[in-house]
Amino acid sequence: MHEIGVREVVQVAGFSFNLETLYMTWIAMAIVILIAFLATRSLKLVPTGWQNAIEMVVTALNEQLDANMGKRGPMFAPLIITLFLFLLVSNWLGLIPLMSSPTNDLNTTLALALMIVVMLHVLGLYYRGWKYIKHFFEPIFPFVVINIIDEIAKPITLAFRLFGNILAGEILIIILLMLVPIWMPIPSVIWLAFSIFIGGVQAFIFTMLSMAYLAGAIHKDDE
Amino acid sequence: MIELNATLFAQILNFLILVAILRAVAYKPIMRILKAREDKIAESLNKADADAQKAEATLKGYQEQLAGARVKAQNIVDKAEKRAREDREASVLETRQEIEQMKKAAQAEIERERERAVEQMKSEVVALSIAAAGKIIAKNIDASESEKLIGEFIEKLDKNKIGDLPC
Repeated sequence: MHEIGVREVVQVAGFSFNLETLYMTWIAMAIVILIAFLATRSLKLVPTGWQNAIEMVVTALNEQLDANMGKRGPMFAPLIITLFLFLLVSNWLGLIPLMSSPTNDLNTTLALALMIVVMLHVLGLYYRGWKYIKHFFEPIFPFVVINIIDEIAKPITLAFRLFGNILAGEILIIILLMLVPIWMPIPSVIWLAFSIFIGGVQAFIFTMLSMAYLAGAIHKDDE
Repeated sequence: MIELNATLFAQILNFLILVAILRAVAYKPIMRILKAREDKIAESLNKADADAQKAEATLKGYQEQLAGARVKAQNIVDKAEKRAREDREASVLETRQEIEQMKKAAQAEIERERERAVEQMKSEVVALSIAAAGKIIAKNIDASESEKLIGEFIEKLDKNKIGDLPC
């Protein structure tokens, strides 16, 4: 029986790694790359079938980025698209028996959230310089406390929202399978369908929030 | 259950690698094809506009030519009609003259015929008179009286009348 939360840990050069998470991450990456490769294998000037869907998604995302980030938006398009695809595949991977989501490990979600937050601070400093530091002390000096709490809350909320949703979904699937006899699969099936929905929604939320944070950090000085 | 370790950094690395791969494999080709299509569409639209303008200009030219041709044709028809009318009038006039001439000629002929007939009649009447006179003389009148009778008889013959008959 699958043991929840207990992970095989290996030590490499003094660092410990969660093996299952890494394997699942690589599988998810492989699937994402495969999808991207298949989708863009034979691009034509006159789009047909899959190409229409892929282009629609890419165009819609680019428009979002344009609207949120201004002229620097397109630079982040590959990042945002990859983020969404990776999270979607990761979230759904755990719904396959014997697999688990890379995103049911806090290491993964916090890694992505921290990456986004570090990136937005670095980009904010790079693009806006002194004004970026100053905006932490606005509107008046004491607000620095609230602003810093806000900045710290960003990666934590991002990471825990995704982690919690996905882990809870997987736990409940396992529990449902234990509780309900095998000839009564309806609750499990319903929960599985709901988990598919949750996976998509969480991937979308994570991506959209990342985009909004990044936009907030780099967009304001355009005005 | 929740423990953070070096997996976190490994995941960041994994994700950045994935971003790089996707960017090269999928994003760039898609953007390239989108750009290419955008260019193509813009080009096509421009071309279509230019074509439409050209077509309009050509149509205008044709319409002008057509109008010109119509005016020209009208002129030609008018001219032809005028000439035909003139020709007809001329021919009518000529015919009339011809008829007139023929009439005159016929009248002259008739006149001539009549004169000849009168002459003939006159000579016949003379001969008849002489014969009649001869018979009368032979019966009871002498020569001098008969000659006087004949002379009177001839005097009575008008130039245009034979006896009392109109000619």
